[in-house]
Amino acid sequence: MRISEQSKQENRARILEKAAEIFTGKGFEDSTTRDIALASGLAAGTLFNYFPSKETLAMTMVTEALCQGREDFLRRCTGKEDLAEELFLFIASGLRRLRPLRPFLGPVLERSLSPFPRKNVCQEGETARLAHLNAVQKIIGRHGFTEAPDYVAMTMYWSLYLGILAFWTNDPSPNQEASQALIDYSVRMFVRVISGSGSDKGEAHAE
Amino acid sequence: MQNENIIEQELLDLLPKDRKTDPTGKHLAELLARIAMKKVPVNSFSRIWTLGSLQAQVTAGYLGYWLRSRFRNADEKQRLKSEAHLSAALQLFGAMGYLRGAVMKVGQMLANLPEVVPEEFAEVLSALHFEAPPMHFAMVREVFLDEFGREPEEVFATFDRQAFAAASLGQVHRARLHSGEEVAVKIQYPGIASTIKADLRNLRLLLQPLCLTIDWQDTLAKLADIERMLLMETDYSQEALFNKLARSAFTAADQVVVPRIYDQYSTARVLTAEYLPGCHINDFLATDPDQGERDHFTRLLTVATYRLYYRLHWLPADPHPGNFIFMSDGRLGMIDFGCTLTLNDEEWTFSNVAIQAALERDLPALNLSIARACRFNDPDDMEPDRLEVIRSGFYWFMEPWQQEGLFDFGDRDFFLRGIDNVMEAARKGYTRSLPMTIWSNRFTFGGRAFCYKLKGRCEFRDIYLQESAGVQPNHT
Repeated sequence: MRISEQSKQENRARILEKAAEIFTGKGFEDSTTRDIALASGLAAGTLFNYFPSKETLAMTMVTEALCQGREDFLRRCTGKEDLAEELFLFIASGLRRLRPLRPFLGPVLERSLSPFPRKNVCQEGETARLAHLNAVQKIIGRHGFTEAPDYVAMTMYWSLYLGILAFWTNDPSPNQEASQALIDYSVRMFVRVISGSGSDKGEAHAE
Repeated sequence: MQNENIIEQELLDLLPKDRKTDPTGKHLAELLARIAMKKVPVNSFSRIWTLGSLQAQVTAGYLGYWLRSRFRNADEKQRLKSEAHLSAALQLFGAMGYLRGAVMKVGQMLANLPEVVPEEFAEVLSALHFEAPPMHFAMVREVFLDEFGREPEEVFATFDRQAFAAASLGQVHRARLHSGEEVAVKIQYPGIASTIKADLRNLRLLLQPLCLTIDWQDTLAKLADIERMLLMETDYSQEALFNKLARSAFTAADQVVVPRIYDQYSTARVLTAEYLPGCHINDFLATDPDQGERDHFTRLLTVATYRLYYRLHWLPADPHPGNFIFMSDGRLGMIDFGCTLTLNDEEWTFSNVAIQAALERDLPALNLSIARACRFNDPDDMEPDRLEVIRSGFYWFMEPWQQEGLFDFGDRDFFLRGIDNVMEAARKGYTRSLPMTIWSNRFTFGGRAFCYKLKGRCEFRDIYLQESAGVQPNHT
């Protein structure tokens, strides 16, 4: 029996919803695809038609959240932001959408976004990375840079971003406010690097 | 590299040399070289403000000079050990973010010992506050989403993207409520509490060379109190409570205004208050006000602060000029109650017993109060000179209380005598005292520096009698 496109979409949405509940309840490591299939009312084999692995499933949630974050960012962006401010807005908008997934995100991101060479590259992770960097390139392009930053600058950016993600998934401060400060400093540092501009050396204090 | 050498030479020229042990400044040069060579990891705030500026290095150098002078009479081995520690500790100065602004001002003041002039002292005091880095609007928006679940423009009818004032822990934006009222919205820099804790840790390390002096425990107790007060300041809901209590202490006839707080738009990190139109002291002075206007605002300031002292048992311990607003209709606006010390019953009684003893010229009682304030059991336990210096400081404090008629706070000699006394006590190391004296001194000197700058007069004794009348000795 062939199932309709609509019920496929419904199944997919239900799997994602139940998986989020199970990951949050049991943690990512201790959850199985079997648990998720059961909760979704599907046979384990059927689940694999939708998502080939637990990692892909979790990373799909991440990709979708980040995609919504990019939409939020475009909606919130006023065009008056300077580069550092706009990058901050971009990263913060993404994290806000990821927030519901935060309880189980650490191991997911570690597996799917690891910058180290791996045998099995998580395709969803790679998609998320490219989409994110593409958005960053566009933001930089809007701020008067004629050339795209080279691989050193972009690798540096990605390292900072992964650092922020890692810190944020484990940030015990209320509303992850320590992460907000970290984003602020990281972004300022990156902007300073690609702009080649000097630092404020404390004159503000010395007036 | 050459540039660095020039800075170092310039720095060396600027710094005072110890005439006895180091007349050519050779030791000092070595110390500076050691500081310049080493690097310590800095906290996040310092990535924006580095120790690279000449100004910051001069302050670091002055602090070093001052700390070293404490060991002038120590034996050579002890002195070298202290210096080695000092040069490392000074590095940490560069690592302080939030407190550095304040430490730099103190450094500048210490630097000018003993030739400090009253104007400079008043200036340093007025600039002595703590600074958080400025937030761009995107960050403000994130704070709003976390605190209210909505963007600033949704919460308010209008909201200025640019801050109009820096606050000690964040910044202030102007906005208008949907109901039309103009408001000032104070927003806290995220995660500032952990920076304060890190800074205080660094400050303790910076002062470590003093750990063998008899007053080290006293220094630690004071630093703990500073930390406690600063962390209290990070809770804006506490400040809102202080603000409301203060507001209820004044009537329209007083001509002192404390802005209304809008609870609906306030949280622990965001404080929304009525916007008070007017100017700060420098702009007021620029209008070349006549003596009558100066006296008027001096009287209002005195009534305002002593009302809070007598009625609420408070020391408004942050008499920063930005916290007073000269309104065009002649009223005085008072804002920012984050740094308010509420005296407990014991401290309140203690404070008034000393004042009463001075007013009644009861020398044994006054000496006992002074001894206690300096953490001695009995005046006989104090060196006679220490007792004498501290007592003359207290007499200076009490002068306005004892004079009938107008008291001139703009009198240069009067203000200078107060500074001389503080300097003498600092120079002689008579700094041991109860932690509350940090705040009472800040209250007194801050207020007097403000009135000195204002060149204002008021009938202080009458105000004191009026404000203290009917006040119970303790909270009822």
